[in-house]
Amino acid sequence: MSGSIEVRGLSRTFHTTVRRPGFAGALKSLVNPERVAKEAVVDVTFDVAPGELLALLGPNGAGKSTTIKMLTGILTPTAGEARVAGVVPYEERERNARNIGAVFGQRTQLWWDLPVRESFAILRDIYEVPEREHRARLGEFDELLDLSSFWDTRVRHLSLGQRVRCDLAAALLHDPPVVFLDEPTIGMDVVVKEQVREFLRHQVEERGRTVLLTTHDMTEVERLAERVVLINHGRLVLDGSLDEIRRKFGSTWQVRATLADPHARVEPLPGIALLRHDGLKVVFGPAEADAPTVHQALKAVIERYEVTDIAIDEADLEDVMRAAYVQAEAVSRAHAEVPSGARAEGV
Amino acid sequence: MAAVHAWRAARVTPLGELHTPPRMTAALLRLTVQVVLVASLWNGLYAQTGTTAGLDRDQAVTYAVLAVLASRLRELDQYAGRDTVLQHMHFGTIVYWYLRPLAPQRYYALRALGEQLYGLAWALAGYAVCLAVGVVRPPESAAVAGVFALSMLLGQWVLYYVMLVIDQLCFWTLRNGAAMLILIFAQNLLSGVYAPLWFFPDWFITLSGFLPFQATLSVPLSLYVGRIPLSEAGAQLAVQAAWVVVLALFTRLLWRRAARRVISQGG
Amino acid sequence: MNAVRIAWRITRLNFRAQLEYRSEFLMMIAIGAVWQVSVIVFATVLLTRFTGMGGWDSSDVLLIPATRMLAHGLFVLFLGRVHGLGRHIQEGVIDTYLVRPMPVYRQLQLAYFPTNAIGDLTVAAGLMVGALSRSNLDWTAGRVTYLVVCVLGGMLLEAALFTVVACASLRFPAADYWGRWLEELLGTFGSYPLNVLPRAVGGFLTFGLPLAFVAYFPAAVLTGHGDDTGVPYWLAAASPLLGAAAFLASRLLWRWSLRHYTGVNG
Repeated sequence: MSGSIEVRGLSRTFHTTVRRPGFAGALKSLVNPERVAKEAVVDVTFDVAPGELLALLGPNGAGKSTTIKMLTGILTPTAGEARVAGVVPYEERERNARNIGAVFGQRTQLWWDLPVRESFAILRDIYEVPEREHRARLGEFDELLDLSSFWDTRVRHLSLGQRVRCDLAAALLHDPPVVFLDEPTIGMDVVVKEQVREFLRHQVEERGRTVLLTTHDMTEVERLAERVVLINHGRLVLDGSLDEIRRKFGSTWQVRATLADPHARVEPLPGIALLRHDGLKVVFGPAEADAPTVHQALKAVIERYEVTDIAIDEADLEDVMRAAYVQAEAVSRAHAEVPSGARAEGV
Repeated sequence: MAAVHAWRAARVTPLGELHTPPRMTAALLRLTVQVVLVASLWNGLYAQTGTTAGLDRDQAVTYAVLAVLASRLRELDQYAGRDTVLQHMHFGTIVYWYLRPLAPQRYYALRALGEQLYGLAWALAGYAVCLAVGVVRPPESAAVAGVFALSMLLGQWVLYYVMLVIDQLCFWTLRNGAAMLILIFAQNLLSGVYAPLWFFPDWFITLSGFLPFQATLSVPLSLYVGRIPLSEAGAQLAVQAAWVVVLALFTRLLWRRAARRVISQGG
Repeated sequence: MNAVRIAWRITRLNFRAQLEYRSEFLMMIAIGAVWQVSVIVFATVLLTRFTGMGGWDSSDVLLIPATRMLAHGLFVLFLGRVHGLGRHIQEGVIDTYLVRPMPVYRQLQLAYFPTNAIGDLTVAAGLMVGALSRSNLDWTAGRVTYLVVCVLGGMLLEAALFTVVACASLRFPAADYWGRWLEELLGTFGSYPLNVLPRAVGGFLTFGLPLAFVAYFPAAVLTGHGDDTGVPYWLAAASPLLGAAAFLASRLLWRWSLRHYTGVNG
């Protein structure tokens, strides 16, 4: 399995028709449509190593799905290049198809009218998987995802959680080295979500699959991804580990302490700022530069002062990402002032 | 491997039907009622007429009943399986067709083949019953039967392409459910499902001669009832075969353009 | 009054929405033209082949398809969205409608603008003009009024039948299948004098599937064949009333079905 993903300067521009407002406008658009170019993905570059799980993050409409579609071969880029397991997906779609598995959110690839196991059998034949291998893999998936309790049910009667689990299994039945998951756990309950995460972790750690995942669920990112790529308005904003992101956007911890001695002299510590001082209660936060982690700060405060009570508030990943998105928004706005945003095109 | 492979995709429709017995009961009921209604209608219409448009009563009834049976070949509840192009475009699941190492056109053809074979089983059973109770006449001779079988095969082939073109339209017009119904009505009308084309005015027959629809049903049924004599059968079969070739090329072009469209829009 | 204003506004928006899909809109018009020619040919073809059908003069017979087509066109325009509902139910639209402060049935009818109704109505109007111009009847004000009422009654009856199917599809999505068959039956058997059929079959199309009341009975009453339809004259004459009653009944059934609607899974 050599399931690397290489993305170099990938860009995609869509052309859409603008609808003029009003009734007359609609009629006018019918006769003479006005076309506009929209850049969905702009010059995106990143790599995913074999056996790595990468979370592709970004607000809605950031270009995540477009990127995934180009990597699965459904969409051709307008510029740049991508290689998935050594294959250029949009040039050799069918060869690429054998190397990848994909689940697009709530869209199911299963046959609506048939029991799930029949769908698996059809896919087995389409991907030409030997029967023995097929059975072994189904057994493995069943253990992790509990499929056998409902795999004789017709798809139309499955609950969402059951269906998505089946879709995950269906996407991996042919043992693809690379897996693309576009919001796989959207709308699922916590138990099923956890089951799916466990399954994905297993696929990455035990089977060495490369997984590219988009999600809005930060718990998921925290549990699964070592590395994230953040895109907004089609541009890559950040590529790094979760720790890096935390350091960059998430240094918003607070240490709240109640002092034992009302007359103690309270002053900032190295890298730690004094945010509030009200009688016995003191609040510390990170200084502008060289801020320690919240745990280091906690240690420093306890060592320096005698306290009767101490608590920490740490921004969770959700807050970190909010900060990151807001900042990314500012960056994109700066980009948009360069005249490369949406521009009208004559037809 | 390839044979098994084909068999799986082909049996999607029959399997779906077998898993839904009410649907089969419905199909049986509908077929029975439709045959009774059609047979009594044509018997009634011929009550005061001898031969019209070159068809006598028995010929007309046989033609009409066979048309009902033949339209079973591809008249399933296609939407129930959520596997039509229209639905895949609507739900955004068409992407999966392009994510598999099986070309969409091949998958479609296999599905249609399975569907048509399943319909054939129904049609043959219905035909046997109708023949037994004397609603339809048997073919005049073994030669007629043979030519009819060949012509029916070609007709189904043409029909496959016609339905395919209608489905392929869904790649361009997203919400054409109503348009599909109308096109299917046109197909039924122009292929002679509702009434034999022989009853129509001359200009209409001439016009439909330029269209592929009559090759699907009107030609084989006319051969069966003897409205087209065996001596003209060769020419008619040639025309049918020509339509198969033309439509094969045309739909291939459309598949290619559909793929390009999916690839450029992302499904 | 407010309801009418909202309905009108939504209809305008829907019509604009149809214009948005350029190729489809143009195709619908083109297809509408094919449809018109086909239906007129189909409706007239049997009449010219089988003169004296069921003891009717062919100019009188023409009134049956004309009435039926006009009623159908109006049905498609005003109430046609009940047809093919099962598919939409599966997508959960009813759940959305149920949380809005407007009757579900009305929301359903306002779901989209039926572009094809334009074609249907054009052909129907043309056919009706043809039928009236060939007719030898004396078109008094009373007759014309009765015809208009019958067309409306036919529309309501067709709507009632499709509403019943829609009620079924609230429970069984597969009921759409029956809807398509119903449309086919109405289209193929709604245009003849039903007395050409054996009594049992005619009876089925009168009391089983009451399509005789859409156009056949009204036309029979108008053309003086009201006494040999196989049902009492008063029943044939009361067709439009029956249409209205059937529609009301179907709406009650719809309300009942909606109360027992359990939603779609997923």
